[in-house]
Amino acid sequence: MNSKLIKELPELVRNDIISEDVSKSIQKYYEGKTVATPNKLFVVFGVLGAALIGIGILLILAHNWDDFSRSIKTILAFVPLVIGQLCVGYALLKKKGKTWKEASGTFLFFGIGISMALVSQIYNIPGNFGTYLLTWVVLSLPLIYLLKSNSLALLHVVFLTCYSCEYGYGFGSYNPSPWMYFPLLLAVLPFYFNLLKQDATKNMVAILHWVLPLSSVIVMGAFIKTEWEFLPLIYIILLGLIYNIGTSSVLKHERLRRNGYLVLGSLGTVILLLIMSFKDLWKELSFEFLMDTQEFYVVAALFVIAISVMVLSNNQHKKEQSNLFKYVFIAFAILFLVGITSPGIATIGVNILVFALGIIAIKKGTDGQHFGVLNYGLLIITTLIICRFFDTDLSFVIRGLLFVVIGVGFFLTNYIMLKKKGRKEIMK
Amino acid sequence: MKNIKTIYIFGIFVALALVQLFVPAQMILGREKVLNEGTAYKFKTRPVDPSDPFRGKYITLNYELNSAETKDTLWGRNEVIYVKLNKDSLGFASVSKVSRSKFAFSDDFVKAKVRWYNSNEKEVDFDLEFDRYYMEESKAYDAELVYRESLRDGLPENDTYAIVFVKEGEAVLADVIINEVPIKDYVEKEKSK
Repeated sequence: MNSKLIKELPELVRNDIISEDVSKSIQKYYEGKTVATPNKLFVVFGVLGAALIGIGILLILAHNWDDFSRSIKTILAFVPLVIGQLCVGYALLKKKGKTWKEASGTFLFFGIGISMALVSQIYNIPGNFGTYLLTWVVLSLPLIYLLKSNSLALLHVVFLTCYSCEYGYGFGSYNPSPWMYFPLLLAVLPFYFNLLKQDATKNMVAILHWVLPLSSVIVMGAFIKTEWEFLPLIYIILLGLIYNIGTSSVLKHERLRRNGYLVLGSLGTVILLLIMSFKDLWKELSFEFLMDTQEFYVVAALFVIAISVMVLSNNQHKKEQSNLFKYVFIAFAILFLVGITSPGIATIGVNILVFALGIIAIKKGTDGQHFGVLNYGLLIITTLIICRFFDTDLSFVIRGLLFVVIGVGFFLTNYIMLKKKGRKEIMK
Repeated sequence: MKNIKTIYIFGIFVALALVQLFVPAQMILGREKVLNEGTAYKFKTRPVDPSDPFRGKYITLNYELNSAETKDTLWGRNEVIYVKLNKDSLGFASVSKVSRSKFAFSDDFVKAKVRWYNSNEKEVDFDLEFDRYYMEESKAYDAELVYRESLRDGLPENDTYAIVFVKEGEAVLADVIINEVPIKDYVEKEKSK
């Protein structure tokens, strides 16, 4: 992009669009910028190389070579670990650059995994895969801070998620909940906040904006053991929390593709609500509201956190109009309580909620001249109507008419907005 | 000032590196002690072949020794149970007693997990912990096939057993034997036939 702009400069000067001085200062500005980030690609390739070599060694050793004696295998178990440690030690002592630190840290990360895997093989240690991953993650956690390494933070979250799934999801209600997920996730947050404070425009920050909420969505189900009726409530509150984080002052002005919280929170909420808009689901939900269960405490804790984040985010921008997406989880929690005794009312409530969300998205799209948001709203309403075809007895004529109306709606709204936008641009 | 900070960070790193080395080393030393000083028992077993994404192929061993009579009826699933062992003249293990707490270190006992309590038979069923034997990638599945074939060959009874060293409640699985030949060599022999 920059080089393209610089190439255009002479032409702009020739046609008297900008002066020679301006051209020079633009050129100077971009040259200064490239000096500041000289080795972004180096870092990426360094990390990728180290990760691939690490995984490669891990897989080669997983062959379990019979020809090696126990002592040779034992020595082999330590070789990658020690090499990784020497590289990291060297990088720290000689204050090497980002590339060195990221690459050596990544290699050491896999070195730790390799050594434990090999020892397990040699002595036929039965320990399950979950505990193996947990030890691995814990042993490499401090490296994130010592090396200030982005790639290690990412690996930490990914492997922590793997551990939680392996440990918490399984057949039957006997498997335990991966409680270690929370302290280990909290442990990486100071690094994340620091990164945000230093330079929120970094790509790594955007990646973490996606990976962190995604990880929590993947893992949360592992805390539901017996009271599966709580599942929709737990997830709606979690998604509400994620959405509200996405509207906080730090993230609010991020572009949508960098704000994973907002996209995941909104999309997840709508999908879950659409599922819950079916009457039959509520009928099956009729259950006793059990207060003294793990699931209830998870709901209560999540709810308190979500409300606090919402209040904080509202305080940050009081003047702005807030939208229903922020409060959906509260509305759903009330409907959930109502649904225990009267599933019919809850069903109708959820349908109204989804419809309102669709209308709000359409309004937001037209106000902000955002085609994506506008069509997102239209899509919500369309999907809601399609869903209703399954559990209501509408005649084919009415169904057909509804589709025609929606189709025309799609065309009209987009067309009107296109025209509005065009007019504005001409006015400018 | 900056140098002091570097040395400080490096010091923390050295401590971390030592911990990273200590964890696998401690895993090794504990097992070596059991292998060197423990008593060897034979456990009759049956191999099946799954795999682990990072640690490779292994065979899971289903032991014949998997239940014990007990008066205690309140066993819950996945509860830890300690199994005190007896040895017959051929070296095969059998259950002497089960308990919720550890036996004296002078006794040979192993840890297991309760599967369920069978109230008809008044027996508690359990899984022994050392049920994983890592094998070379190409051999793990063959090991299962070879075992099945050995059954077809009309051997009078199951002649596959695991050699397990036991000391102070710790157990290390050392080898798996089919027809008096270590399973690694047995698979190779069968493959070359």
